Amino acid sequence: MGGYFQNIKDGFQSVFEGMSVTLASMFVRPVTVQYPEVDISTNETISRNYKSTLMGMPPNYRGILNVDLNLCTACGLCQKACPIECIVIDNVKCDKTGLTDKDGVAVKNRFTQKEALKTRASTRFDINMGKCMFCGLCVIACPTTAIKHTNKFEFNQSSLEELVLRFVSDEERSKAEARANEIDEEAARKKAEKAKKEEKAKEGEVE
Amino acid sequence: MSAALKTEFLTINMGPQHPSTHGVIRFIIKTDGEIIHECDPDVGYLHRGIEKIAETVSWQGFVPYTDRIDYVCSMNANLSYCMAVEKLMGLEIPERAEYIRVIVCELNRISSHAIAIGAANMDMGAFTPFVHLLREREHINDLLEMICGARLTYNYICIGGVNYDLPVGFRAKTEEFLNHFEVVVEQIHRLISYNRIFIKRFANVASVSPEMAMSYNLVGPNLRGSGVNFDVRKAEPYSVYPELDFDIPLGDGCEGTLGDCYDRYMVRAKEIKESIKIIRQCLEKIPEGEIKAVVKSVIKPPKGHVYFRTETPRGDTGYFIYSDGQSSPYRLKIRTGSFTGMSIIPEIAKGVFIADLVAIIGSLDIVAPELDR
Amino acid sequence: MESLLLGLGLSVLSAKVLNAIIIGVIILLVFVTIGGILTWVERRVSGFIQSRLGPNRVGPQGVLQWVADGVKLIFKEDLIPDGSDRILFRIAPYFCLIGVFCTLVVMPWGTGVIVADLNVGLFYFISITSLVVIGVLMAGWSSNNKWSLLGGMRAAAQIVSYEIPVGMGLLVPILIAGTLSMQGIVGAQGWLPWDWMLFKSPFTVISFIIFFIGSLAEANRIPFDLPEAESELVSGYCTEYSGFRYAVFFLSEWANLFVMGGLTTVVYLGGGNLPGIVADNAILSVVVFGIKTSVVVFVVMWIRWTLPRFRIDQLMKLSWKYLLPGAFLAFFGQAIYMLLTWEYQKVQYAVAVVVFVLFLGVLLKFIKRVAVNIKEQKLPVNSPNAPLA
Repeated sequence: MGGYFQNIKDGFQSVFEGMSVTLASMFVRPVTVQYPEVDISTNETISRNYKSTLMGMPPNYRGILNVDLNLCTACGLCQKACPIECIVIDNVKCDKTGLTDKDGVAVKNRFTQKEALKTRASTRFDINMGKCMFCGLCVIACPTTAIKHTNKFEFNQSSLEELVLRFVSDEERSKAEARANEIDEEAARKKAEKAKKEEKAKEGEVE
Repeated sequence: MSAALKTEFLTINMGPQHPSTHGVIRFIIKTDGEIIHECDPDVGYLHRGIEKIAETVSWQGFVPYTDRIDYVCSMNANLSYCMAVEKLMGLEIPERAEYIRVIVCELNRISSHAIAIGAANMDMGAFTPFVHLLREREHINDLLEMICGARLTYNYICIGGVNYDLPVGFRAKTEEFLNHFEVVVEQIHRLISYNRIFIKRFANVASVSPEMAMSYNLVGPNLRGSGVNFDVRKAEPYSVYPELDFDIPLGDGCEGTLGDCYDRYMVRAKEIKESIKIIRQCLEKIPEGEIKAVVKSVIKPPKGHVYFRTETPRGDTGYFIYSDGQSSPYRLKIRTGSFTGMSIIPEIAKGVFIADLVAIIGSLDIVAPELDR
Repeated sequence: MESLLLGLGLSVLSAKVLNAIIIGVIILLVFVTIGGILTWVERRVSGFIQSRLGPNRVGPQGVLQWVADGVKLIFKEDLIPDGSDRILFRIAPYFCLIGVFCTLVVMPWGTGVIVADLNVGLFYFISITSLVVIGVLMAGWSSNNKWSLLGGMRAAAQIVSYEIPVGMGLLVPILIAGTLSMQGIVGAQGWLPWDWMLFKSPFTVISFIIFFIGSLAEANRIPFDLPEAESELVSGYCTEYSGFRYAVFFLSEWANLFVMGGLTTVVYLGGGNLPGIVADNAILSVVVFGIKTSVVVFVVMWIRWTLPRFRIDQLMKLSWKYLLPGAFLAFFGQAIYMLLTWEYQKVQYAVAVVVFVLFLGVLLKFIKRVAVNIKEQKLPVNSPNAPLA
């Protein structure tokens, strides 16, 4: 008998408590961000509109990848690190140059702390964003921070081919290949000259 | 002539698409009206062959795949795998990295339990607590996004340590969040967990005795809900857990019988409080230092095999790794807690209502991707 | 209206028929609009309870969302599942529609604003709403779908067993007012809160609670929405319905909400009564009725988003073991109370005022609790002034 009335009392009490909580949440500001109209790429607009209970995108957000070819040494470490093999790099020989970033400071290799030298030029740097899973392993592997995540995430295209980002344009590719051919020819010529000199030296010796 | 009326059981298919099974799971139920006579689970709808994929990618390249084994608590899954490989290689991790790992894993434990509690509530028809818990979980996602840039599949813990350091202002933001969250989650409990209707739905339903729990090999909150005191963090401590002070909540049949759905549900609710305690202690004790041990870019662990387990929100997740010195694992086997949780359902679902079957699935916290890998 | 038509020179019979058709069309339009607007209100209210916005794009603040939904549903393909009972499947929604729509005829929208003031108005009201259970059962059976069948069976059991507390809960006001006609019951109340039927004695409070819980079950609202439990049975008895038939179910469910709210207002909350100076103002009376009904409908929605749902055996236990004895207690208690205080009107008045003051006390405690909860939810998180540690 006591359980009967206890049930009734418990029922009313829990309904009372529950309804007070739900009514309270009607007076708290809704947290819906009406996305295309509100700019979420930084913290500013969102903190202002929502009394800063929400955060916008942080600067290290893992969005679409971007490669700065001025910093790239075409070492292929990102290609080896990617578990899905969505990065494809082809490279040819080039002149050994040092790399400078946009402020003119020489770029260092992050892991060895020595100056980064560009010994290969890439003729093809394709990233297939259709396959990419935004894990960031390529960014961690790159010694010169050439490959980076942007904070862009809207990337719908109208066909699968357009999802592949090609960072080396056709003219750069032909320029690099032409230069590589020149280097090869020069090397071959030098080798031939050297061989001739040695022959002459040998003949001179014999005489 | 008194011939008995011929009756037969109704076979219903609680199919792969259903609003209340957490993911794609299928049950074939034979019922007598509303009472279940036999329940036959059918798994494998979300099998993606992750264990086979492991044999083709590099050791570090497999870490993003562990994220996706259980995307609700991906930091814990990352940690399990990385610690297994580190044990195989015999690698020492800097102390700061260990503390950071524990902080992010416990944050992820809170958000995973929030989803478990919220989904159990939603199955009972109370939609508001789920949405409120998701709102709070967004703050945890924001904190973890500040660290590693992603909100769900983090790929943050790596072999040798962690990938990025804690940013400036993380500690203050986390402490503020914990102060806010403690109070709000208690309010949500007042809304639903102590509600008489909810207790009547969950208590005395499908109670699992401690012996049955151990014989069916339940783990995690499912096991502790039946009163068995076993937590991998205390039984086989790893990382910095030996230096932290926390309790293991156990089910005690407070509203019904021992080991019923309400006990398992409340064990998860109490574990959230313990995780908050752990995070506060770690934030105070964390030392300065390196975040990553020096590891070659192509790692080749020595030949051998290892089995390592850690406590994820769904129980103990174990990795058995067999390496033969190459740059990919030779064989990788993952043992998850949802699988054994699923195996006990045919036993405990006999004689309950269909509405109770939904409560049972919600209280066992079965997540389909972890079930099928 | 009839006199207007007679004045135009039509015969008596055709004037009557035309009158009926015109009033029927007006009521149908009112019914559809109310049903539609209530869906929008529910979605906005549920949004604010859950800290999110509801629909706010179609029309100013989203008020035309229901029009867009209705247009979409009309354009959908009309599927009839294979193996279903075609005739029953087709006519099932219309039973629900008639059950709800015909009650609007006896609803006293204000003092003197009523379509047909039957002297058995309340009895007609309760009996017409029982057509809904036939519609639900037909829908569940004819869908050739086991989940719909379960939903239909549950609905039948639930609605039939909760008709009794609803009926018993209405007996106490009938006892006090002495008549079954709706206008009569409104007339037996005043405009002051302690003249409402709700506060007249502790027994009317008990009977109001029983009636309210019973009408929640009649309208298939949480905590009693087992027949259409979204998490278990996809959509219960109306899983197989699509297109316009689904729109009919949908509309009749929401309009049922309004109808139940209106009944509560009329019978317990003194619907439409105005103070002496403006007693004959019809428009003001309709506005007061509208406000009171909206408050009741808001409370019903608020309960929906707070509580989980009952299981079928717990639901039956509640009805037969708790509500029915309570209703008997209220009825006999009120009868004995009225017998004892038949001469002493002042005592009845004093008791009513005391009950109202107690209710205000409970309300005040509630508001304090809400204030504490608001303060807790507003604890800062991610504030910009946190020190950078």
